[in-house]
Amino acid sequence: MASNLDDEIDDLQARITSLKKQLHIHTSTLLTAPSTRQLLTQPDNPPTTTLTLPRSKDTPPKTQIQPLLAQSALQEAHAQQCLYRACATLTTFRARDPDPRAVDGGAILGVRIEVLSRARFLRPYYVLLNRPFPGPGSRHLRVHRHTLPACIPLAGLAGRYLPAPTPVKGGGGDGEGKKRQQQQDLGRFARALRREVVRYHHRLGVVADLRKAAGIEGRRGAEGEGEEPGRLVDITPADAEAKQLTIEWADGRTGRLVMGDDGEIVKLVVLGENGRDREAGRDLLGGAVRVEDVVKRLATLG
Amino acid sequence: MARISVPTTARLPSSLRVDPTNPAATKILGRLSRASLLSVALDWLDDNNLPLALPYLREDEDEDDDDDDETDDFHPPARSPEALREIYTSLQARKGSKREVLDRITEGDWRHGLTLYQLAMADLQYLHDHPTSQQWSAYRIAPLKPPHDPDGEAAPEVDKQSLTIPRFHPSTFLRTLQSHVLPDVKAHYNFDAHRSLPLLILRIFVLDSPYNTNHALQPTGTTTSFDASRTVYIAFPDASPHLFISKPTTTTTLSSSGGRASGGGGESKSLRNLLVEGIPKALSRPLQRERFTLQSTSLVTRNLAELVERRGGGRTNSAGGGWSVYADETKGKKETPLDLVVPGPPLSLPDHGEGGGKRAAAVPVSDAERREERAVKRARLVARARFGGTGLVGDGKGVERVDVVVEDAFPDVVAEDGDGDDEEGVVGRAGRAGRKSRVDGSLGRDAEDEDEDAQEAAAQGWRPFVRLTFHGSHVFAGIRQLVENGIIDGERMPGWMTGEEGVTIGAVRNGRIRGHKGSGL
Repeated sequence: MASNLDDEIDDLQARITSLKKQLHIHTSTLLTAPSTRQLLTQPDNPPTTTLTLPRSKDTPPKTQIQPLLAQSALQEAHAQQCLYRACATLTTFRARDPDPRAVDGGAILGVRIEVLSRARFLRPYYVLLNRPFPGPGSRHLRVHRHTLPACIPLAGLAGRYLPAPTPVKGGGGDGEGKKRQQQQDLGRFARALRREVVRYHHRLGVVADLRKAAGIEGRRGAEGEGEEPGRLVDITPADAEAKQLTIEWADGRTGRLVMGDDGEIVKLVVLGENGRDREAGRDLLGGAVRVEDVVKRLATLG
Repeated sequence: MARISVPTTARLPSSLRVDPTNPAATKILGRLSRASLLSVALDWLDDNNLPLALPYLREDEDEDDDDDDETDDFHPPARSPEALREIYTSLQARKGSKREVLDRITEGDWRHGLTLYQLAMADLQYLHDHPTSQQWSAYRIAPLKPPHDPDGEAAPEVDKQSLTIPRFHPSTFLRTLQSHVLPDVKAHYNFDAHRSLPLLILRIFVLDSPYNTNHALQPTGTTTSFDASRTVYIAFPDASPHLFISKPTTTTTLSSSGGRASGGGGESKSLRNLLVEGIPKALSRPLQRERFTLQSTSLVTRNLAELVERRGGGRTNSAGGGWSVYADETKGKKETPLDLVVPGPPLSLPDHGEGGGKRAAAVPVSDAERREERAVKRARLVARARFGGTGLVGDGKGVERVDVVVEDAFPDVVAEDGDGDDEEGVVGRAGRAGRKSRVDGSLGRDAEDEDEDAQEAAAQGWRPFVRLTFHGSHVFAGIRQLVENGIIDGERMPGWMTGEEGVTIGAVRNGRIRGHKGSGL
């Protein structure tokens, strides 16, 4: 009985949250609609002309319109931000470091990288930069925090495009002390970073496509019946960057496919019982140059 | 047993049998619980493992004349692995003592010896049962610049601009490790995937013997070889250029004398150093111009989940504490740009429901009460802002010890010779919103020159030696609770107390841990 009641309460709670969510969505849709905006801004003009219909009952008082207008403005700003985020996929924002002893007053520049994978926006990746350097290089940025996975060479990219300022030594210690400060290039850094992230996700996507084309996901359950030896049983990424794939056949052959940054096939080695099995490799590739071609080929074969 | 034992550089084969009465074997098995023992035994009898863990079975030929022999055998050998599997499954269903199972294994079914493979499986079972039994240190695998001088005299430096992510292939790694790095050490290696975490665990069982046959395991004379044997675990997190090395533990019994124990400690330390030096060499591929080194990342903990969180393949590596809101991938926080609903301020969302409920329950009566309630609420909010989704008591990602050395100058001295408008505070008494005073700035610049500013410390005022050690089951959850209860002022608490840097050993300079500019890269 008690559990019944609990279930009921849980159900109702779930309904409340879903209804609230719907309410939010409807609110924002209504607020962004141009007609609503028009309605909201209209009452400002009519009072100047006294020739309005006497609808004092209908027109909401100013105290109600003001927050609505504010909300509407907020909504519009958000919509614009979303538009930029969706189209440019590389946006910046400002944040504040909550640490009271943070450098530069806790000012943080955030870079947001959107990733579109399988027709869906993933949670964006963030890189948060601050300006910790004193003296002449004080405008130089440095990566403070980030949410990129470890397989993105962020440190290397930061070393290339956001080098730390070379400290200016006092006196004539080294002749090259006047060496030009290395310029930082946030734009190139962000673009290169995004490129790496997108490549990585494309590689992951292509692995999933390969698996699907080879029918690995589907046939898992129906194992055992009719083991044709040429069937692929497993394709998995073998390294952090998903550049190398392990391929396993039903008859025990294993292969390693190495792809380049952009999904071009660099090398494929298949090992059978008696050493290298070149024929199987040729069978799998069929003259393909890119991994996507292999996907297509497998899809037509299967 | 082989007739002749020749010292070689090969590793110990998995099929090598250890006498079940050997102290190391009894210790490894003895510390498992009954349930674990049974599940391990069933794992041994699994078809995949059976070739390396063959039990003592009754042979078919002497079936007839053997009957009377077997009657006085307390643990008659089974006829087939299937029968044995049934026996152990029935034992699993029944209640009984651990001793019963242990005896059955050592005196019955594996009386002819347990293979090293079996011991490795049992040891890993113990690791799964007691996840905090090992202390791990995290290391980063960093790429090195190709050496430019042909003599190889100069120490290679870390390539800060390299884009290579170290790749790791278990069997190649093992082969190189054994042949190039530990040729003098006889060791048994065993790989196993962690059951719940994305980790690959390598168990290295080191024997102090030049032989790789049964000779290595003979308790010749005094128990020399096994006594000095050590077990080291190396964990490789999936998709992350880090690795975790456990502190070597001896398998010697505790009864060993004090002097020997200390000697063993030094030995195990040198073994660890050997590994730390050797692992990057085993990972490197000089022919492909890929060389790596290991860098300590100042994170030592017993908690593997925390290690995977802070050094693993996910998003949370460099976004701890309050920054974890950026890495949070849980439901409703996807932040897709297609969602047109304006998000509220990040901290307000969960508060609405809570606050509403509370207000209905108890309406504060007096002013003081209201103020108090507001303070409590504010403290909670601040805690959530500073810690985000981390540092929760039940999240199982606690570090148990944090050591911090505070190297800041004593605040009064700074206030005297600096311009007095900025109060520079020490821990817990930090100045306003991180404005740096001039003294602080110049200090930072000088320190930048030196990078390791030992002399600098002496030059600048009085720096008391302050060393803080936090100790507990989940240090940062404890600090969070203190903040939530208003004992620590969350707004003025320095950032390193939230654990956002992900280090357990560190030096605080200018109110920030590790380096002078906060962390980052």
